Amino acid sequence: MLKLEGIHKRFGNLEVLRGVDLDVAKGEVVCVLGPSGSGKSTLLRCVNLLEPPEQGEIFLEGHDICKGPGSGTGESSWELDFVRQRVGMVFQQFNLFPHKTVLENVTMAPEKVLDKPRSEVQAKATALLERVGLSDKLAQYPERLSGGQQQRVAIARALAMDPQVMLFDEVTSALDPELVKEVLDTMRELAAEGMTMLVVTHEMEFAKEVGDQVVFMDGGVIVEQGSPADVLDSPREERTKKFLGLVLER
Amino acid sequence: MSQVIHQFFDVGFMLEHFGAVLEGFWLTIQLLVVAAVLSLAWGLLLALLRQLPGRKFLPVRFVTIAYIDVFRAIPLLLLIVLIATGIPSLTFIPKSIRIPEWFGKPDPFWYGTLALTITYGAYMAEVYRAGIEAVPQGQMEAARSLGMNHRKAMRHVIVPQAVGKVFAPMLNELIALMKDTTLVSVIALNEVVLVGQDIQSETFNSSALTLGALMFLVVILPMARLTDRLIARNQGRIARGSHIEVA
Repeated sequence: MLKLEGIHKRFGNLEVLRGVDLDVAKGEVVCVLGPSGSGKSTLLRCVNLLEPPEQGEIFLEGHDICKGPGSGTGESSWELDFVRQRVGMVFQQFNLFPHKTVLENVTMAPEKVLDKPRSEVQAKATALLERVGLSDKLAQYPERLSGGQQQRVAIARALAMDPQVMLFDEVTSALDPELVKEVLDTMRELAAEGMTMLVVTHEMEFAKEVGDQVVFMDGGVIVEQGSPADVLDSPREERTKKFLGLVLER
Repeated sequence: MSQVIHQFFDVGFMLEHFGAVLEGFWLTIQLLVVAAVLSLAWGLLLALLRQLPGRKFLPVRFVTIAYIDVFRAIPLLLLIVLIATGIPSLTFIPKSIRIPEWFGKPDPFWYGTLALTITYGAYMAEVYRAGIEAVPQGQMEAARSLGMNHRKAMRHVIVPQAVGKVFAPMLNELIALMKDTTLVSVIALNEVVLVGQDIQSETFNSSALTLGALMFLVVILPMARLTDRLIARNQGRIARGSHIEVA
């Protein structure tokens, strides 16, 4: 489904990704752990070409999507349309459109990008918002919603484009503790329905329970990867042990 | 004291010339509306050109920035005179464009419109730019990750929010634009200042000019109050944390 080979990315003199390989099968949930600055978020942003990698290949459904994005911004290139319509992304800070209602947040992309008729788009958006438990908030503006509710709208918004892969970038990190569960529950349901997911997270329990694969990153490389039981319960690498020790100590 | 009142505030004199002054002010208003609409549109276009991403558009960005810098630096009065005296001499331009008398308005009206649009387009571009840059980066990323290209993201996500953020400074620019329309009097457009000045030089009474000033107050004071109210409302919203401003 998604295959990364030798991904390199630098910002100025700082090399953030130093050769990352990763294989994500269809329907698989891969959780990416690691200290801040380890390159996790950059890796996600490479996958949907928000930050085109400088070196390496990304294959999505067998297509190499890194062929052309180096040309300037990759603006309007075939790869970009191909990727962005197949890969949904949810951000740490939600990034809902504050000038649009909840329903409009979800309908905007299908309507403006895919040119689908409004009635069809609205019916689908309503169904998606019902699925994330927000059918009573359709006409509200995002500022009226709690962080957890906003994040669920963001998930529905990404799903409205019928993505094949969903990227989650620390989506519970900006939430109050009591709001984390509702977002994780939504993600659990999504995983159970067979969505392919790449999840950057600090939620160890979630990784253990939902992840098919856990990847530990540090210093721009993958240090260790495997089943959640292997990586989280009996890590081989010192760096992984140290990180998990620090996280679980809390 | 009574001399001052007679010279500047002769009510009877004002009433006598009210019709003529109002006619001049009406032309001022028309010039304001046309120049405002054109400057707002031209300024937005300049701001958007300035925001085009990537190496490919570097020359466009460079030219746009140069334009904005140059025309913010040139005095409007000089530009008005330059246009009104220069363009009529360019005989390779068809006469209907060189000496425009469109919609029954004399050619100074259109030279003035052009000069005001060139200058205020540059000012407006800076205001739009402040608004665009005040929209959090995450908005563009969210729009792009949903498959929108740069143009669609600008149109549906960034610009609507940007305009909301700069409504008050925009109104301030429009107030300045309105006052600057009076500069077009130097190329013999019969707007409110020139009308008042003509009356003054015939009668040696300045009250017609004072009347013109009062007409400006009637229009601009409510605009200034509105601007303040918008700023206060905006700050209230930010204070309540309803703007999703994310670090």
